[in-house]
Amino acid sequence: MKLKICHLYPDLLNLHSDQGNMLIFCRRAEWRGIQVEIDYISLPEKVHFTDYDFIFLGGGTDQGPVYKDLLEKGPFLLEAVENGSVLLSICLGYQLLGLSFKKQDGTVLPGVGIFDAYTEEVPERLQGNILLETAPDLQDEIKRLGGAPLDTLIGFENHPGRTYLGKKAQPLGRVIKGHGNNGEDKTEGARYKNALGTYLHGPLLSKNPHLADLLLTKALYRSSGDVHLDPLNDDLEIYAHNVMKKRLR
Amino acid sequence: MNTDLQNVSKGLSFWTAFLAGRFVAFFCRLFRYPGTSLPGAVALKICPSMLSALAPSYEKIIAVTGTNGKTTTSNLLVHILRFSGISAASNSEGANMLSGVATALIKDCTLGGVARSPVAILEVDEGSVGGIFPSTKPGLVIVTNYFCDQMDRYGSLDHNVTLLRQSLDGLPRTALLLNADDPLVVTAGRGRSAVKHYGIKGKRLDREANGGGNTREGQHCPDCGEPLVYYYYHYGQLGDYYCPQCTFRRPTPDFLVTDVQDEDFLKFSLCFFEEEKEGEHGAVCSYKKVTRLQAPLRGFYNIYNILAASAAAITMGVSNDIIATTIQKYAPATGRMEEFLFQDRSCTLALIKNAAGVNEVMKTILRKEGEKALVIAINDMPADGRDVSWLWDADFSMLDHPSIKKIICSGRRAGDIAVRLKYAGVPLVKLVLEPGCRGSLEILGVQGAEEYFVLASYSTLYNYAKLLKKRRGR
Repeated sequence: MKLKICHLYPDLLNLHSDQGNMLIFCRRAEWRGIQVEIDYISLPEKVHFTDYDFIFLGGGTDQGPVYKDLLEKGPFLLEAVENGSVLLSICLGYQLLGLSFKKQDGTVLPGVGIFDAYTEEVPERLQGNILLETAPDLQDEIKRLGGAPLDTLIGFENHPGRTYLGKKAQPLGRVIKGHGNNGEDKTEGARYKNALGTYLHGPLLSKNPHLADLLLTKALYRSSGDVHLDPLNDDLEIYAHNVMKKRLR
Repeated sequence: MNTDLQNVSKGLSFWTAFLAGRFVAFFCRLFRYPGTSLPGAVALKICPSMLSALAPSYEKIIAVTGTNGKTTTSNLLVHILRFSGISAASNSEGANMLSGVATALIKDCTLGGVARSPVAILEVDEGSVGGIFPSTKPGLVIVTNYFCDQMDRYGSLDHNVTLLRQSLDGLPRTALLLNADDPLVVTAGRGRSAVKHYGIKGKRLDREANGGGNTREGQHCPDCGEPLVYYYYHYGQLGDYYCPQCTFRRPTPDFLVTDVQDEDFLKFSLCFFEEEKEGEHGAVCSYKKVTRLQAPLRGFYNIYNILAASAAAITMGVSNDIIATTIQKYAPATGRMEEFLFQDRSCTLALIKNAAGVNEVMKTILRKEGEKALVIAINDMPADGRDVSWLWDADFSMLDHPSIKKIICSGRRAGDIAVRLKYAGVPLVKLVLEPGCRGSLEILGVQGAEEYFVLASYSTLYNYAKLLKKRRGR
């Protein structure tokens, strides 16, 4: 089995070590004998997003050039998501994939529109460790996979943006401790088909091996159909997850 | 007479604050509490303008800021000045926020509120420059480097540079001593008149061949956004760079290190800039060789620290001979590759706080032959940075090495470092989880490796230093 992976803007969206998610995702595939082939795409390269099983977009501060380029690539990215590609976007990457982004000076930028969500930036940052109860439908899917028996998600958030979800977007989970999308409605992240946006750093997949395997299974589905992943020894990840969970509860 | 007048004008809140600070410092000493910040914190509560009242009684204030190397650079400078007969007040234990700086000055002053030392060397946290520079008005500011560090506090690197520039805006006469090899640092000196640069001469891409990692944060031109091209780089984004699209390039260093020998001891030559001549391939810089230096320190990054401290000392009129002699006698501060004896073997304690720093520490460790066992202890207290995701920017795959026998993962985030090492390819059988400080040392002690290392984040570093000191010579 083989996975085609696209790491988008690795040189520009590289803050908060989100690229660690790429390493985790690829290792978990390789440990199961699945080959991975990664393309690193930056501006202004042309891409056929539909070629990829998994697309990753991290966080950063550089909005200008990335934003302009992403708007051009946007429709093709959306096409890939409509075709079942798995997309993981973190922080700024997540915000730019919404419908719009309102900057602190009041200017409103249109987004790519994959998620039915809009973001407003305010001066005060929402920061700290965060604990989520995974969305119920995702919990069911994770249970079906076997693997790490976790029903929560752990990460570190650090964002001046407040994101509000529309009706068509599903959250990643419900905030138990921390702030989430906007610090008000207890939602965190957004989902559309196999696209996932979230504010969770850490990196996200480091303490959430169950979510990593869910994304991996979904990515494999495109090329290989229903695949049962061999279980891995996730004791260290589960330990790290539970230490933080216990502290936050 | 002048000082009397100044004292009168300091007012009641100053004196209450000053005496309260001294009182707290006294009790800290009595109960053997480190007290590197508390006296200043108490005093600042009572009199927020404390620093602007204390600072004028110093002839010269030198501030050191940047991400890595602040403590070593300041301590080296204090050390050099002391040997040349100039005593200096300093926050030498690395308490580098407003309260730590205030503590250092309060402790240095006489009960009459007058400075004992003519000079103050202040290590200043990158996020605290805005509070400390306007009130202390340093005559010289040394900027070491900007790497990704504790992002939960500062948001981004550009933000650090902007903060520094803003805090210097009201201080037109402050001279700057900048690391020429760091494009991010260099931008801090633009538009200012009194700027000197220091740098290290390298061979073309000479360290890249040794597997240099790829943390190059300042890799884009600050003027036009084009990726910078490097003739060579030492580590991280530090090197000799230029922009292929515009005129931005590494400034000619006024102080240049050449002929580096990076072994058990660091040996290198320190040169002065002499003149720029037109040569066959454009401008050619000629340097006057000043002196050969040798320091009992490990790690290439320490050359930058020695270079910055020496350059500052030279600008203050210290002779080359004194610099060469004192550098040779320098003992590193707590946990800056500090050596202990543990279970009859050498045990080195190193502070780790960001990706660029830990990469250099790991390279230095691996240069040693022989079996090694390590403790890596990561805490997430405010002083460490609450977000430990920087672990994923560091190249821990280096530790998947046959000479590494065991790695004990410790601290409040023991699980995080263990997970990181697992994905870096370190075999699980080599990993041990032990969150406790004492416990982790006990496990380390029975590994029977030839050499031990403890890599610890800030808030747990001193616990290890204390325990290792106790066991010294056992």
